[in-house]
Amino acid sequence: MSEHEVLLDVRGLKMHFATKSSLFSKNKGYIYAVDGVDFQIKKGETLGLVGESGCGKSTTVRAIAQLYKPTAGEVLLNGKDLTKMPAQELLAARKNMQMVFQDPYASLNPRMTAGEIIAEPMRIFQNRGLLSMSTAERDDKVEHLMERVGLSRFFKNRYPHEFSGGQRQRIGIARALALRPELMLCDEPVSALDVSIQSQILNLFKDLQQEFGLTYLFIAHDLAVIQYISDRVAVMYLGLIVEISGSKDLYKKPLHPYTQALLSAAPIPDPAVEAKRQRIILTGDVPSPDKQRPGCYFYDRCWKHMDVCKTHRPRLQETDAGHKVACFLYHKPE
Amino acid sequence: MTDEVILQVKDLKTYFTVDEGVVKAVDGVSFDLRKGETLGIVGESGSGKSVTNLSVINMIPSPPGRIAGGQVLFHDKDLLKIPLSEIHHIRGNKISMIFQDPMTSLNPFLRISTQMIETIVLHQGLDKKAAKEKAIEMLKLAGIPAPEKRIDQYPHQFSGGMRQRVMIAMSLSCNPEILIADEPTSALDVTIQAQILEIMKELTKRLGTAVILITHSLGVVAGTCDTLCVMYAGRIVERGPTDVIFSEPKHPYTIGLIRSVPRLDKENTERLYSIQGQPPNVIDLPDCCPFYPRCEKAMDICRKKYPTATKFENGRSVSCWLYSEEKK
Amino acid sequence: MSRKISKTVNEFNQQLKPISLWADAWKRLRRNRMALISLWIVVFYAIIALAAPILPFFDYRIQNLDHTNLPPSFRPAGQLAIEKLKSQITILKERVDSGMDTLKPDLERAEQELTVAKDELISNPENKKVYIFGTDNLGRDMLAKTIYGARISMLVGFIGTLTAVLVGVILGAISGYVGGWLDNLLMRFVDIMYGLPYMLIVIILMAMFRKEGQSSIVILFVGIALVSWLTIARVVRGQIISLKNSEFVEAARSMGAGPGRIIFRHLLPNALGVIIVFTSLSLPSFIMNESFLSFLGMGVSAPLSSWGSLVSEGANTMELYPWQLLAPAIEMTIFLFCMNFLGDGLRDALDPQSKNRT
Repeated sequence: MSEHEVLLDVRGLKMHFATKSSLFSKNKGYIYAVDGVDFQIKKGETLGLVGESGCGKSTTVRAIAQLYKPTAGEVLLNGKDLTKMPAQELLAARKNMQMVFQDPYASLNPRMTAGEIIAEPMRIFQNRGLLSMSTAERDDKVEHLMERVGLSRFFKNRYPHEFSGGQRQRIGIARALALRPELMLCDEPVSALDVSIQSQILNLFKDLQQEFGLTYLFIAHDLAVIQYISDRVAVMYLGLIVEISGSKDLYKKPLHPYTQALLSAAPIPDPAVEAKRQRIILTGDVPSPDKQRPGCYFYDRCWKHMDVCKTHRPRLQETDAGHKVACFLYHKPE
Repeated sequence: MTDEVILQVKDLKTYFTVDEGVVKAVDGVSFDLRKGETLGIVGESGSGKSVTNLSVINMIPSPPGRIAGGQVLFHDKDLLKIPLSEIHHIRGNKISMIFQDPMTSLNPFLRISTQMIETIVLHQGLDKKAAKEKAIEMLKLAGIPAPEKRIDQYPHQFSGGMRQRVMIAMSLSCNPEILIADEPTSALDVTIQAQILEIMKELTKRLGTAVILITHSLGVVAGTCDTLCVMYAGRIVERGPTDVIFSEPKHPYTIGLIRSVPRLDKENTERLYSIQGQPPNVIDLPDCCPFYPRCEKAMDICRKKYPTATKFENGRSVSCWLYSEEKK
Repeated sequence: MSRKISKTVNEFNQQLKPISLWADAWKRLRRNRMALISLWIVVFYAIIALAAPILPFFDYRIQNLDHTNLPPSFRPAGQLAIEKLKSQITILKERVDSGMDTLKPDLERAEQELTVAKDELISNPENKKVYIFGTDNLGRDMLAKTIYGARISMLVGFIGTLTAVLVGVILGAISGYVGGWLDNLLMRFVDIMYGLPYMLIVIILMAMFRKEGQSSIVILFVGIALVSWLTIARVVRGQIISLKNSEFVEAARSMGAGPGRIIFRHLLPNALGVIIVFTSLSLPSFIMNESFLSFLGMGVSAPLSSWGSLVSEGANTMELYPWQLLAPAIEMTIFLFCMNFLGDGLRDALDPQSKNRT
């Protein structure tokens, strides 16, 4: 396998939201949604980001897309830091980085036709002088994109409410492809779809990746989906990455206790297998990221915790080739 | 699971009248439920699984919906025909329900204690003190830590998983014969889902409650249900014991569904199978098999008539022309 | 490549007709009987008011002192004038006979007028006029007066509402989108304006700036528009705030859309339903405000008349000649009723809840 270059390099990304305090209280609370995240994605690769609610995966992706201004850290796209770019340069950089959203009902403007929605990125860039295209060319491109994602071009003038959930998601994907980006950030794009449609869309993602040489950052909470679509997987918990490795390795040999619990909790559609499974049932709830703790964030729910886990925070360190984990079971604290 | 049948749904039909026509949300659904059995109803959106649920306890909003036919026999009494006063005595008491979103089924203005005690006093005739003790006991069984203190809290002070436990405790507090759970874990995280399903399994086994579990997740069904009904466009297309259906699915939709779910324990290197097309819009469907546009094995007759049900051994039944002897 | 949109069929060979959101709303509005009737009535009013100069009404400025204070009727004016004179003469005769000699010259004058009227009944073409709504104290046709009054009232209402909506939408949208201190500032300003005694301010403005003989309409607009944009601004701000966190707005931002595009292409079109409803409900209130001012004498001045000034005039002669009050009052009331029903109907038809079909 040839050495592909790194397309996206995230370093020390932090996203802290200040919770509004009342006029009279002195304490300002914070939500530490993302608390120091590092990873790299190579060209043509798919990195899956998985975790439960409150783990910060959606916030991470939005911070990368510069929809939120990161509290700290760097986001390097093709070597250039997006967080420090002036507005015009950032706009040009967006051409290479587009997003697909989760909710097919909410991510399309109900008052625009499908054709207008797909053409919008092109229009925005045309208006700013970053793209030159005639109207006819643009219409052509829209129809071409629609056919490519599996929608009939005769539906160009229909409104979102006239489409089914899966079709709307296809419109969203066509919209993201309009500018031929290199990187696609996908925030749970199949979670809101029916099972039979989910597999269609997942196949579409894979096909498009082959055809256009796309790189994906793919978020989902369904582990089986992540395993299918990703080359590498990062597991997040309370704003931190706890384990990152190749997708096959993660499922064969999960190292971090949280990953083990997650995998054990995921249901498998096979009664014979389910009947024999030994589940690791975690106690307690998924905590909310409103406190910074000194030790490991997973300490309270971890059944393998040691004393050192309460006082020191483990860092992501490599164990095998390409397999990194943040846990004192595998390396000593510094 | 015994052989005593406590609920029989026969040819249930629920129709909704909307601007564009008549939506036959449920169009001839029949199944039996035995004492202590866990029955799963699996389907995608538009399949009619939630409406089936609500029809069983006669809770369909009356315009625009109506029960257009069929019977729901609970111990030989038709729930669709008995007067409202009797239904109130059954709902919450002999048949109780939990829903997907516990935030909307719990009254945010009342303490948990008030809501639980209300149910117990109403149906079991205990006095307030005894009812409170029973409620605390149920909360403990449902795995809520420090139930004596937490029972006096409000719903917003509980997390999603905890609220669902409260719902389970509340619905099982009157020791019902049937628990209907409508997508109880769809809104929960995977680790919490595992907890909740464990609790449900344990409690219902202990109390001998029969469960009708409605979900879109094949994984959940595989892990918790004895019997399975697969619904498509308002009808049950396949029915039978869960392990048999998974190992030998017969209906093309079931086959397609099982094949299109990515599996965690297998290496998915080849392309994921997908059923082409999309779920039908069930307004004014003509008389045909609604799955035929998406079916790889569709025949001519599939376009013209809805297939009759073919029964197999083990209580299995499939509605598909591939198996029916009546093929013309 | 064909750009025609073909009628498509779905997999069951059922026709799939495209439905735009407006067509959908129209369908729903049509089902609301009251709103539909109100709509037609309002359109009727609008047509008559717009086309008034070319319609065969009598000029509202022409005075005919022979035809003063005639009641509404389908009979020619000449006859009515004669009847009026006759009844006047009867009353005067009674009084003279009972001893009021000072009225004798009046009686003689009246009898003279009667003879002239009888003579001119056929020769004077004016006497053939039919005044459906009667006449006022100077012989002006009430129908024409109320129609021209409607023109002014509706004009004031329409332009005033439009101005208020424009100002309110822009300020509300900016305030809602930008948020922060600007939002705070604007909303506190709105709060203060709400607290002021608006009527008083308008009256003061009118008193300060109105010059004799000059048209007072502009001042009227300014005065009322000054306070009418407040509610719209608040409502639009609320809608914008609730919409600005939607995923489709996030999507637009991720594509590099600037605030202008987001506000005008994404947020406002989705708030249009609410804006339309508020516009249709604030128009009647505008008209009411103007009428109130005119009633007080602070509104439009002669020769222009609005519903308010007509009602004011009519109120003076309410007991003797009730039609002079009833004609403008009923006309105005019907219009306001219809606008309100229409506004309610629009709100139901544009209800966003029903838009999402699964």
